[in-house]
Amino acid sequence: MKTFLRRIVLYIFALWSFFPLYWLLNTSLKTSKDALARPPTFIFKPILKNYIDVIKNNEVWGYFLDSLIVALGTTFFGLLIGIPAAYVLARFKFKGSADFGFWILSTRMTPPIAMLIPFFIMYLKLGILDTHIGLIIAHVGLNLSIIVWLMRGFYEEIPIEIEEASYVDGSSFFQTFYKIAVPLSLPGISAVGIITFLFSWNEFLFALVLGDSVVRTSPVGLYGFVGYQKIYWGQLSASASLLLIPVLFFVFLFQKPLIKGLTLGSFK
Amino acid sequence: MNHFKKERNKFIILMLMPATILLVGLTLFPFIVSFILSFTDYSLLRPGQTKFIFLDNYIELMKTDEFWIALRVTVVFTVLAVFVQVVLGVVIATLLHNENTNISFLRTMYLLPLAITPIAATFTFRLMFNPSLGVLNYFMKLLGFEPQAWLASPSTALFSLILVDTWQWTPFILLICLGGLASLPNEPFEAAKVDGASSWQIFIKITVPMLYPFIGLALLFRSIDAFKTFDIIYVLTSGGPGILTRTLNLYAFKHGIEFLSMGYAGSIAIVMLIITIVVAQIFLRKNKLLTPKETLKQ
Amino acid sequence: MKKKYISNLPPSRKLNLTRRHFVKATSALVGAGLLSSYGLPIYAASNVDEMMKMYKQANIDWESQKGSSIVLSGLEHPWMSSIEPLLPHFTKLTGIDVQIQKQSESEYVAEVPVKLGAGNPTPDVYMVWSYGQAANAGWLESLDQHFDNPNLFDKNWYDLNDIFSSAKSFPIWNDGESYVMSITAEAQTMFANQNMLDAVGAGIPTTFDELLSTGKKLKSGDVAGVAMRSKADGSAGTWPCGGFVFSNGGVVIQDGKCMLDSPEAIEAVQYYGSILNEAGPLGVGNYHWYECLNDYMQEAVAIGLDSSNFATDIENPEKSNAAGHTTYGAMVSGPGKQAKPNMWHWMAGINSKSQQKAAAFLFLTWANSKPTCLMSSALGLATTRTSAWESDGFKSAFGSQAATAALTNLQNADGKIMKDCWFHPQSGEILTPFGIAINEVVTGTKTAEKAMKEATQKINKAIGA
Repeated sequence: MKTFLRRIVLYIFALWSFFPLYWLLNTSLKTSKDALARPPTFIFKPILKNYIDVIKNNEVWGYFLDSLIVALGTTFFGLLIGIPAAYVLARFKFKGSADFGFWILSTRMTPPIAMLIPFFIMYLKLGILDTHIGLIIAHVGLNLSIIVWLMRGFYEEIPIEIEEASYVDGSSFFQTFYKIAVPLSLPGISAVGIITFLFSWNEFLFALVLGDSVVRTSPVGLYGFVGYQKIYWGQLSASASLLLIPVLFFVFLFQKPLIKGLTLGSFK
Repeated sequence: MNHFKKERNKFIILMLMPATILLVGLTLFPFIVSFILSFTDYSLLRPGQTKFIFLDNYIELMKTDEFWIALRVTVVFTVLAVFVQVVLGVVIATLLHNENTNISFLRTMYLLPLAITPIAATFTFRLMFNPSLGVLNYFMKLLGFEPQAWLASPSTALFSLILVDTWQWTPFILLICLGGLASLPNEPFEAAKVDGASSWQIFIKITVPMLYPFIGLALLFRSIDAFKTFDIIYVLTSGGPGILTRTLNLYAFKHGIEFLSMGYAGSIAIVMLIITIVVAQIFLRKNKLLTPKETLKQ
Repeated sequence: MKKKYISNLPPSRKLNLTRRHFVKATSALVGAGLLSSYGLPIYAASNVDEMMKMYKQANIDWESQKGSSIVLSGLEHPWMSSIEPLLPHFTKLTGIDVQIQKQSESEYVAEVPVKLGAGNPTPDVYMVWSYGQAANAGWLESLDQHFDNPNLFDKNWYDLNDIFSSAKSFPIWNDGESYVMSITAEAQTMFANQNMLDAVGAGIPTTFDELLSTGKKLKSGDVAGVAMRSKADGSAGTWPCGGFVFSNGGVVIQDGKCMLDSPEAIEAVQYYGSILNEAGPLGVGNYHWYECLNDYMQEAVAIGLDSSNFATDIENPEKSNAAGHTTYGAMVSGPGKQAKPNMWHWMAGINSKSQQKAAAFLFLTWANSKPTCLMSSALGLATTRTSAWESDGFKSAFGSQAATAALTNLQNADGKIMKDCWFHPQSGEILTPFGIAINEVVTGTKTAEKAMKEATQKINKAIGA
């Protein structure tokens, strides 16, 4: 009975999460007239034209590749830079450590609008406008606070005795960090990695302003289907649906430790 | 002892170095520029005529109704949206954690709102909310309710936006809580089970307190981001009806990008920053999240 | 978008046609839905040699900037989509490479100010979304010196008489210089579903009152009478409702002062609100052009009053259920007043920081020249040239009746009162409160009088009047 109720709730929530996407997929399989038909149609003759258009469209492929490079780069460098900082903040108290942690957090608090022009000028002078590395740096900067703070939370959950024992055994701080702490924090790395990837994959404002014709990520590119006095519903919904595939693949790969942690930690 | 200290300091500095360099390099210059600009009447419309006006922008802001309305909208939106998202996120994460079948299918479903390109999702909502062509009113009629104006009515617009935000961001809380649950030790749960505690008691007495640091962090980040909400409101209502859903960030965007008054927009941004800092400090201190629980000692 | 235009096009589609044939053939393709608004560059470019002769007649040294490369930036707009497939002609003619950057309107108005504000040398040529802002901020190059340069411009060949007078007067800024060229023309035009009008035995309304009563007659449980924009944003209700204010003898801005609290303006907004309240669809307060157009095309609403450009979509049977039975009409007017529909010219100019100004100017001249306008109008673009509007290609792409109605409305429009508001350097600070006030009236949160008086106060404060 309990299991039954629980499943009901879980499936209702799944339905809720899925319904707007169902509507998007629905739209992508319709002609432009059907897409806006009144009353909305649930049963119709699906067409694949929108998908064919999108697959043949080199620009959409370009958005996809740019997004992939930027999101993977951001996830990799973000974790590489963020995890050490998180570990130190979780395990050491030093002069100003609380303020330092808060400063990192505060970088996420400023609304970006006021900073856009100075940011743009800085990138212009450095010559990294419209480059993958430029956008990766910006995205790492945007997401570092969340990586550091969440990872710090995960490190604090790991019993400290294991690390202490390792240190007593003669390992250095570095060895203890990457041989003990990092493997133990894999569920955390997995969750934070997925979040970072998704945040970068879908980031719009900086991708718009710092990217241009060479680097144009999918949120920026897909916005182009919202034209002047018309919306290209078919292409918009079809490309958004197709772009889900690589994301889900990435999420699937990265959630393995989550599942492992889950089975280890669950109680039946 | 001394050696330990030296090693320890070296380790701390090296580990923090990359993050520090990156963040200083990236945020210091833009921050200082916009901070200084907020004390000027800098407008791109009047190149070369910028004057230093000290606190005038801030005084003007405090005197403007629109600012206070925007602040109220932002606070109401943030509090309601984040509250609903945290409750939903924690409950679903716990239920999912107790589940043993179909997990990967469900988890994928739950992550979809975070994964989809936001612009496509937002426009889909615009389509679904459409009072005459949209699917939401179609269902309302089917179920025998009056069709609603949704985004156009003063009584339902903010609610509709919170609905969209909740759809999009509950998975974020869910994901962090799932990660947290996966990293918690097993023993307390099993002990409670042996003692014959009910699921509800376990949830309230064990799951929530143990998960608390994660819930706190998820809540913190979600609030920081919700406070800056822009995209969905910009596309769905543009701040209407009237200015009843215009948030501070939308207000800043209007002045900075549409009106090109960068000085005034800068002052809005600084006020938003100050509010966030104060609230975050109080929250972190109260919940003792600023300093580590345990530290490595010799 | 990553596009570089090269003049070598697939030879397979090279057809040897005269210009007349070409225009006809192109329009036939448009009619058959073969040339989408995205365009098929293959076809348009297939006639390079023939078209080239027309350009060569000009006394312009087209090749003077050979080898340079310019960046053209604009929004997803019919002008961009019809110029894009024609770019190979330009490259072949001048040896100038054109890179295109195309964005949605929201992206464009957020990104371009940042770029220009930072002094970026690109884009070289861009669509100007707010002339007043761009001119005041110093982001535009004066075109006058280039017009006087005999290597770059041939007055006789360009034929200024062919260009709409408003399109010629719009670019002249208050310092007497021209910083932009008008590239498109739109006028506020009524589109009405003839079947629905017939069903209730109504004619095309010509006054505010008739629009209200006809709209109420047309409104049933399923179908709304009239839908017009009224979202709470400066880009939504302001343009169509501005036309109501003008057609009731009011203005938005006069001598640098906001006049929206005049009895004429208040009455016009009152009408706008009542029409939408009593004859509009549920939730019309959140309608932007997108909702208005879709509702109309899905026959969920019987009458709309918006840009003449909507005709190309309304008459597209693949998208629209109202295709073939829509009547296009003149703007309605207030009691005893003269109809003055709102209008719009999109404009393009040269970045004052551009390093390729001569090449950029050649591009503008080319894009606005007779032959180019003839080709782009055959793709349905509403250009600023009489010759293009009268061409068969345009009539068949745009619809003959729609073209006539749009032209009538363009002629009835008063460009000056429109310019005073929309080209004001602080147009954003005028239009945003105005748009919000319209929304408040339509959603019933404020009376027209209260909303307009408050908006006027706010606007006058912002523009220092």
